[in-house]
Amino acid sequence: MESPKDKSKPPSLDDWKELAKVQMKGRSVDELVTESGEGILVKPLYTQSDVEDLSFRDSMPGLPPYIRGTQATMYAGRPWTIRQYAGFSTAEASNAFYKKTLSGGGQGVSVAFDLATHRGYDSDHPRVSGDVGKAGVAIDSVEDMKILFDEIPLDKISVSMTMNGAVLPVLAGYIVAAEEQGVPQENLSGTIQNDILKEFMVRNTYIYPPEPSMRIIGDIITYCSREMPRFNTISISGYHMQEAGADSALELAYTLADGKEYIRTALKAGLSIDDFAPRLSFFWGIGMNFYMEIAKMRAARMLWNNIVEEFQPNNPKSAILRTHCQTSGWSLSEQDPYNNVVRTTIEAMAAVFGGTQSLHTNALDEAIALPSEFAARIARNTQLIIQEETAITEVVDPWGGSYMMESLTQQIANKALELMEEIESAGGMAKAIETGLPKLRIEEAAAKKQARIDRGDEVIVGVNKYISTEEDEVEVLEIDNEQVRESQINRLKEIKATRNQKALDDVLNKLTACAESGEGNLLELTIEAMRLRATIGEVSDAMENVFGRYRAQTQTVTGVYGEAYQGDQDWMEIKKIIEGFIDREGRRPRILVCKMGQDGHDRGAKVVATAFADVGFDVDLSPMFSTPEEVARQAIENDVHIVGVSSLAGSHKSLVPELIKELKSLDAEEVVVIVGGVIPKQDYQQLLDYGVKCIFGPGTPIPKAAAEVLEIVTGVNSS
Amino acid sequence: MTSIRSGNKRTLAKAITLLESSLDEHKEQSRVLVDEALVHSGKSLRVGITGVPGVGKSTFIECLGLYLINSGFKVAVLAVDPSSPVTGGSILGDKTRMEMLSREENAFIRPSPTSGSLGGVAQKTRETILLCEAAGYDVVLIETVGVGQSEYLVSKMVDFFLVMILPGAGDELQGLKKGILELADGMVVNKCDGDTVQSAGVSKQQLVSALSLLNQSEYWSTPVLTCSSFNEKDVIQVWAMIGEYFDLVKASGDLRKRRNKQNINWMNALIEEALIGRLNSNSKIKSLLLELETSVKKLEITPYAAATQVVQALDEL
Repeated sequence: MESPKDKSKPPSLDDWKELAKVQMKGRSVDELVTESGEGILVKPLYTQSDVEDLSFRDSMPGLPPYIRGTQATMYAGRPWTIRQYAGFSTAEASNAFYKKTLSGGGQGVSVAFDLATHRGYDSDHPRVSGDVGKAGVAIDSVEDMKILFDEIPLDKISVSMTMNGAVLPVLAGYIVAAEEQGVPQENLSGTIQNDILKEFMVRNTYIYPPEPSMRIIGDIITYCSREMPRFNTISISGYHMQEAGADSALELAYTLADGKEYIRTALKAGLSIDDFAPRLSFFWGIGMNFYMEIAKMRAARMLWNNIVEEFQPNNPKSAILRTHCQTSGWSLSEQDPYNNVVRTTIEAMAAVFGGTQSLHTNALDEAIALPSEFAARIARNTQLIIQEETAITEVVDPWGGSYMMESLTQQIANKALELMEEIESAGGMAKAIETGLPKLRIEEAAAKKQARIDRGDEVIVGVNKYISTEEDEVEVLEIDNEQVRESQINRLKEIKATRNQKALDDVLNKLTACAESGEGNLLELTIEAMRLRATIGEVSDAMENVFGRYRAQTQTVTGVYGEAYQGDQDWMEIKKIIEGFIDREGRRPRILVCKMGQDGHDRGAKVVATAFADVGFDVDLSPMFSTPEEVARQAIENDVHIVGVSSLAGSHKSLVPELIKELKSLDAEEVVVIVGGVIPKQDYQQLLDYGVKCIFGPGTPIPKAAAEVLEIVTGVNSS
Repeated sequence: MTSIRSGNKRTLAKAITLLESSLDEHKEQSRVLVDEALVHSGKSLRVGITGVPGVGKSTFIECLGLYLINSGFKVAVLAVDPSSPVTGGSILGDKTRMEMLSREENAFIRPSPTSGSLGGVAQKTRETILLCEAAGYDVVLIETVGVGQSEYLVSKMVDFFLVMILPGAGDELQGLKKGILELADGMVVNKCDGDTVQSAGVSKQQLVSALSLLNQSEYWSTPVLTCSSFNEKDVIQVWAMIGEYFDLVKASGDLRKRRNKQNINWMNALIEEALIGRLNSNSKIKSLLLELETSVKKLEITPYAAATQVVQALDEL
């Protein structure tokens, strides 16, 4: 039947709704509205009416509020910088990798340090035996730095360093290495992450408590704005929040709130806004929620512009949010690993449409280990293909004017404003962190997200849907941690034998005094100490004497995970098995969830803890950064059935056997040891041979893991 | 028992598990164990510490524990946490908050979940104290969250009951549960550092005047101290207060009286537990109980008459 409508009028939204209803066989189109993780309602269709009230509709790229980009011409003028983050165990190996990357089309160097360095320990420190050279390069002194940047012209190549805890000695080491290469400080360009606030919320690679940590940041900003005008003193990072399970709105809000706190810190240190604001940069994680990620990046520029305007800058550059992006590591899967190339490509495109200034694309094996050469090449080529084979770069902000994108941009901005308001009313981020609220919010989001994935409400192809029966073995880079440690220790001995100890002691004492009195600049003194061949650990200790070492306040959420499983058959089944266990054993199954070594990624451990408790285990938590010996003791004292080791930093091969040995020596062989996290397949057999009872890779649904653990414990106890 | 006495932590830990077990056979074994332990017990100073979550109990205990260990004592910490949800298990993060103390050879930290039967694990804390004493611990600190029944129970099994509160402008005092002031042998306004020094002083004054309304013993009126666990001197001061009290009650003979009275309480609790255990283990009485419950609900019989019937049934066994 012909529609009787007037054909001269364009069809209206109501016409569409009517047609849609027919196509949906009578159901309402409202059923197609979905709620995103951020709590934003995403509609199946956006129209003119969604953007009518937006204030920023006709803005221009390169001009406030910068929604459409930081520069007028964006990639049409020059594409983003390809910057691949990497660090391989030793300075020599990393240096070789950087040189290869630079000759293969890479445009900057990005250094990953090992966890011992992050936490301000030298390689010979007893607490870091399992961490040296894992997850990044081991650096103990200027000598290592010089090898790291050998034959890389530091006046031409920009260097990005992911360092937050031991920022002072690492930044100073880089400065001195350049100096000895003949490059003066004012010619150095690059970025140091130096974002300590997020460390207290996620990732945990801090050294000192929040207050002295903020002073360090103030000193660095002060020094660099004077001496190193081309260097970005801080990279305010949302990436790690997203990796820890935060949704895009949380990531956006807390990162901007961190930024605001840094502005206040620098102003308090006596700088004016224009002295440093142009050198602040940001760092976003880009996940699989394509539209939302683009909207997030556009909203971020607008919100930051508004925040900085409050401080009345004269330099327009002060209010521009420039950002680096990295594709999400969380979204990568161990199962069907080649799918990761596709995921990374889509995420990279979101980052590009969002208008990033530089980009790291993850390697396909990044869910398992440090990238192999093959995987690193594909990751780099992914960006080159987008830059050079597609026409994507030819248009500035191609999503501008899209009803959907403009509307989402406003909505996510609104969500973020709400969350930022909460932080502001707590007295700013530094104060809010003390209450533990932001950390708890992120952990809650993480537990919810994990439950959605485990239940299959959020699909990950090859993990919880369309699971492949064939297993692709990916070759993984192997690191001999013992060997790295030994060579580092030898170099430390050499340095300590040949330096002017007296002169160094004087400077280190001055550093301690400066920490104590608050007079003078910590970076300036650290540079002096590094020139005299101080080690990272010595510099850190000199300040730790005054500042102390920060310890995390562990808080946990309960009930969030279990709530998603209300009425679930399998879930109830496990609960029943546990009831049976109690009837037989006289108590609940008890598990100690632990983190060993300097690996501070505790999202996995926290989510497992809350989920296991919700299903009916008694769950003990170990302090962060425990040694195997300490964990064994905790297991004994709390008399647990199971120790669950969460490992994400590649130190499982040394720490887990050590733990099993300790348990044996305490006469507690029957305690079941299980391992979860990032464990390469090729290590499984070795761990099992040592006595590990089962291993859970990324993507294991927690109820499945719980059921398996129960079975093992029941077997052990009845035999 | 020999192994516990020799200081083997593994055996001590296993023995505590046995005490906490809900199985009948384990209960019998623990009875034997506690009997043996009694001979070697009684030598420690038992201190209960309570306060709302976030008041800083763990940080305080860590600081105090380290100080005591450095002074040559062996310290056991028993953490009772009744705040876990009813349906699932508990998350026990106590050691994350006592990281340094947990590394000490002369420390033993045992967090206990409440998922036991009959009044929860707090009931078994008393027996656990005895085992710790047999294992040679000089000071036993019992940490309990100030919600539910546990603080009352714990106060009835320690020599000194310390109540911690947060600095505040008076609301805190009103939020304190009735009766907690009577239970306290000493009070600490904690987290008195930085911005809170002033409000801590106000809280302290309010507590002092509130306490002055209570009947105090002739030689001890409950002191109120302010404390920051970042300041070792404050923590030592709190310990000095506890030590002073201990010396006084020991000299006056009140310590013995207090512990004797606690033993009577203990006995009564055990009788109650055993009787209820017997009621529940007899299938005839169990079904009678179910029947009577329904009748009471329907108002067909008074609770009083129903209870009489049950006791009679017990007599007829």
